[in-house]
Amino acid sequence: MWADGDHRRVPGDKEPQLHSRPGHRGTRTMLPLLLLLLPAARGTVVTVGPEPALTQDPRLEMVTTASTFVLDQPRCVFQNYSDAVIWLVVTNDKGAFNNSMKPGTSKTAFQKFPDEVSAYMTLNVTLPSYPCPKPAGDITVLRVGSETSCAKDMSRPTCNGPLPGPGPYWVKFLALDDSGPVAETKWSMPIMLRTAQPASNISTGSGYRDGMIAITTILSILFAILLAALLAMLVFCGSESCGSSTFSKAESVSVRRYNTHHVYDQPCARL
Amino acid sequence: MAKSDDCVHILQGLLVFGNVVIGMCGIALTAECIYVVANSHGLDPLLKVTENSDIYAAAWIGIFVGLALFVLSILGIIAVITASRTLLLVYIILMLITFAFEMASCITAATQQESLAPEFLLKQMLNGYESSDAANNSGNEFTKTWDDLMRQNHCCGVKGPSDWQEYMSAFRATHSDADYPWPRTCCVMNEEQHPISLDGCKLGVPGYYKSNGCYDAISGPVKAYRGVAWFGFAILCWTFCVLLGTMFYWSGIED
Repeated sequence: MWADGDHRRVPGDKEPQLHSRPGHRGTRTMLPLLLLLLPAARGTVVTVGPEPALTQDPRLEMVTTASTFVLDQPRCVFQNYSDAVIWLVVTNDKGAFNNSMKPGTSKTAFQKFPDEVSAYMTLNVTLPSYPCPKPAGDITVLRVGSETSCAKDMSRPTCNGPLPGPGPYWVKFLALDDSGPVAETKWSMPIMLRTAQPASNISTGSGYRDGMIAITTILSILFAILLAALLAMLVFCGSESCGSSTFSKAESVSVRRYNTHHVYDQPCARL
Repeated sequence: MAKSDDCVHILQGLLVFGNVVIGMCGIALTAECIYVVANSHGLDPLLKVTENSDIYAAAWIGIFVGLALFVLSILGIIAVITASRTLLLVYIILMLITFAFEMASCITAATQQESLAPEFLLKQMLNGYESSDAANNSGNEFTKTWDDLMRQNHCCGVKGPSDWQEYMSAFRATHSDADYPWPRTCCVMNEEQHPISLDGCKLGVPGYYKSNGCYDAISGPVKAYRGVAWFGFAILCWTFCVLLGTMFYWSGIED
């Protein structure tokens, strides 16, 4: 269900309609024009459609990884070339590829990329695999670099193997039929892949260590002060109260009232 | 006389207030440490892998210290109001012992903070996590623990699945990037523990892979644990002031 080149279906969507008719309604008017142009245009490669681009919609977490990237399928781009086989050309040097290179040869073999050749061709499909228009809700993507089983297998030069380095890479689609290349897109913008840092680059943050040192120091100092105060308290003010002049307990001072026999209060004895 | 009476009353009032605050903070500390211990099941897998049991030691000491502070604060209030020298001396010495224990708990909690930091866990995971093949049960304990954690909490990696892409890891050394941008456990699984859609998972289509990091799942207990260290520190500073005031009060009264 999820082969490269097929459209992806999100569960819940209805079955998409496969456009199996080779001709599109719009090409009927174009057909005479094409027939006129064809003798004159034999050997000329027509530039069509938007250039390949990394998938923006839907947002994919892994639109680029360290060895793969994801492109939008070229839907509604090669409509006029129903007999052609559409190839993806991947290169790290735009100038090194010309359209006369044939796929499946050692000059365009994936296994020789990038040391011996500068470009390889892969992901060949015919037009019915890219039906137009794109059904809404389908995720139509091409994952470049997903075939790991044939990466070292020289008998599969058109392998869609994982890319060997971070890039930059340029891609384009090229339509080939029996007579040679007939249509192509422009080269894409340069595609850079991710590079992974070594795990030792992660800094574990010295903030925690500072906090621990602060807490330990301050608490030790406080505890030392308390012990010193306790010692001073016991030694100097051991059994006697040493602050009796500072304050005294009000309850302990009791004034004893003496009932004095006040002579003066008695009426004077009249002599 | 009237002036020193006022001084006594003011000091008594302050000490009673100080003890009331200590009592309430003791209860709060006990509650927080009980929360940490009770909710540690989320931390368990990570603590198993970091082989760190000191975290529980600090929390357990915190529970008992909190209760001791509450009881001692009541004793302190009684001792200050009755102005009994013996009671006050007992109070001061017991408080110093509690202070020492709380100091130990606080310092242990502060020391463990570093091993609960996300960067530390990330480094550990990248170096230790090796194989995620469900069929291959001979994976090491660390990997199994992380797989359990990721399955239970529906999460992937420490900060997110891009951890596996941004950094080199032991996993990356044995599994190619094209086939395994992240471990299979990061894919959304069906009942038979197979990914719903392997291609969707590899591409990173929303809904087919787990996009949260596992650190969020454990950040609750980690924050509470940080509270044990810093709240304990605050209580100790307050207790320091109250104890100094009590010693001054003790030296100023006659029996």
